[in-house]
Amino acid sequence: MNPQLGAALAAEEAAIYAYGVIGVRLNSRGDETEARAAEQAHRGRRDYLVARLSQLKASSAPSPAGYELPFPVTDRASALKLAIRVEDGVTQSWRPVLAVTTGNDRGTALAAMTEAAVRATRWRRLAAVTPATLAFPGRPE
Amino acid sequence: MVLTGAVRMSVTRHSRRRLLGAAAGLAAAGLSGCGILDDDPEPPEAPDPLQPLLDEAMALAASYDRAILSQPGLAARLTPLADDHRAHAAELARVIGRTPPSTGTGAVASEPAGAAAATIASLRTAEQAGQKSATAACQAAPPERAALVGSIAACRATHAEALR
Repeated sequence: MNPQLGAALAAEEAAIYAYGVIGVRLNSRGDETEARAAEQAHRGRRDYLVARLSQLKASSAPSPAGYELPFPVTDRASALKLAIRVEDGVTQSWRPVLAVTTGNDRGTALAAMTEAAVRATRWRRLAAVTPATLAFPGRPE
Repeated sequence: MVLTGAVRMSVTRHSRRRLLGAAAGLAAAGLSGCGILDDDPEPPEAPDPLQPLLDEAMALAASYDRAILSQPGLAARLTPLADDHRAHAAELARVIGRTPPSTGTGAVASEPAGAAAATIASLRTAEQAGQKSATAACQAAPPERAALVGSIAACRATHAEALR
C-alpha cells in the first residue's frame, strides 16, 4: 500500500500549495472561507499520511520546492478552475488506496476521497460549471 | 412517502432473499457430504453482495424520474444526477455479470406534485442514505471492487451536496 499512500501524499501536498495560489485570487468572503477550510482539510490528510507512512517505515519522496501550475491563475475564474482541478486530482489519488487497504485504513481513504469529491462539486457550483457532479469521482478520465 | 415505502420494501426483499440463499447453501453443503441427492438441481445461486447496491441505484434513478415527471422545472438540475445512478447500475451489472437492468422510465408511478423544495429535500435524504450503504459496501468489498464502490459512495455524497 505504500506507493499508493505516497501518491496520495504527493497530491495532498500539491493541493496545499495550490490553495496558497488560489486564495490570493478569490475576492468574496464565501469563496475565501471555502478555500481556507479546504486547505485545512488537506493539511490534516497530509499529516495523517506522513504519520501512517512513518509507522509503515516507508520513506516518501520529499515534496518538491515548487510546482508548475497547469495554467496561469490570474483571476477568480482561473482560481476556481484550479480548485476544481486540485480536488479532482486528490480524489483520483485516494481511489487506488481503497484496493490495497482494509478496515480503518480503507475507511480513512474513502472519507478523504469523498470529501475531496464533495469539495470539487462545491467549487463547480461556485464556478457555475454544470453538471456539478461526476458519475465516478476519482476514476481516471 | 412513496420513496420511503419503496426503499423499505426493497430492503425486506433483499434480506429475505439473502436468508434463503444462505439456507440453501447450508443444505447443499450438508447433503453433498452424504453423497446422496447428487442428481438434484443446483440450489439457487446466492445473490451477489453488490446486488442491493445495484437495486438501490435503480431505485434512486427512478425517484429522480418521478420527481422530474411531477416537476418538469427541475429537469435540468436533476437529469444529470439520474444519469449518474443509471451509469452506476450499468457498471454494477457488468461487474456482477448480469444483463444491465432496463433504464426506461415507463413504469414509474406518478407522484403527487409537491413543492420543489420538498422534492429536493427528499431526494437529498435518499442520497445520504445511499451514501451510507455504499460506504458500508465499499468497506466490505474485495480489493478489485473497492474502487468502483468507493466512487459510487463518493458520487452519492456529491449529489447530496448538489441538492443543498
